[in-house]
Amino acid sequence: MNTKKLTFLAMFTTLALIIFTIESAIPPLVPIPGIKLGLANIITLVLLMNSSLSDALWVLLTRILLASFFFGQALSLLYSLAGGLCCLLVMYLINRLLQGHFIFLTSIVGAMFHNLGQLSVAYLVVRTTGVISYLPFLMLSGVLTGLFTGLCAYFIQRFLIPATAGSLFFSKSGDDN
Amino acid sequence: MTHLPSYRKTALVIIILLVLVFAGCTIWICSYQSDKNGLIADIYQDGKLIRSISLSDISESYTFSVTGRSGGSNTIQVSKGCIAVISADCPDKLCVHQGFIDNSLLPITCLPNHLVIQIRHSQTGNETEKESVPDIITY
Repeated sequence: MNTKKLTFLAMFTTLALIIFTIESAIPPLVPIPGIKLGLANIITLVLLMNSSLSDALWVLLTRILLASFFFGQALSLLYSLAGGLCCLLVMYLINRLLQGHFIFLTSIVGAMFHNLGQLSVAYLVVRTTGVISYLPFLMLSGVLTGLFTGLCAYFIQRFLIPATAGSLFFSKSGDDN
Repeated sequence: MTHLPSYRKTALVIIILLVLVFAGCTIWICSYQSDKNGLIADIYQDGKLIRSISLSDISESYTFSVTGRSGGSNTIQVSKGCIAVISADCPDKLCVHQGFIDNSLLPITCLPNHLVIQIRHSQTGNETEKESVPDIITY
């Protein structure tokens, strides 16, 4: 890992952490555990589109670890990891299938699987079938929040990345302007 | 650009699946009918049923606390037909924000303290059968 790449990944981790910090200052929109905007996922999406899966994975893992050191308890780390990894894997597959198009669809499916992963961990933690009742609410919120973050990523991709491309993303071959 | 139809087809399939899931969840939530009689609140901590309260028989509200293995504690208030967590030492306080619940649609959950409060109907016995019963009970 050369210096440029290290700087690049560190910068994106910082961006994700800033977004995460700002989001955690917003009070919960609905009183249901697990429902939040997931704005930090924008960074994962942008990296998946412009860079590689491994870059996205590194930034995601560093962001989750640092965020739980700064704000959370040990348990929230488990939820974030399960949700984040589920989400990343599914988004990678969907993004491959869609060949980088319709990024909001990738984001929606990712958000739903993020919630599914967190619900599975919640079930393992509390060991009560009652938490399954949250499933429809979490799926609906996944569609809505995923659409929002997906559109954010789309507009970043459309307007922000072209303005900085070339200097920002070096690792993608054959696309250097 | 020869692959143009293939990803569009995939996108269409994904959109159709999403619409089905969205509609399914909406119908699931909207078709829920609450029945105010014979409600029983089950309080689970760490997966074990620690207390079961018949909400219809409450004449005067009262509060009590439960403390989990991890040391977290929640104060629960029981009133006629409904139940709530009124204070907790968990960091996010989502269980407190959920307020009083009077149906089995959405249980109160405090994930940090491993607490779940779930309401069920005494007639059905099991949490799984929700829709089959209502006609026989109205006497």
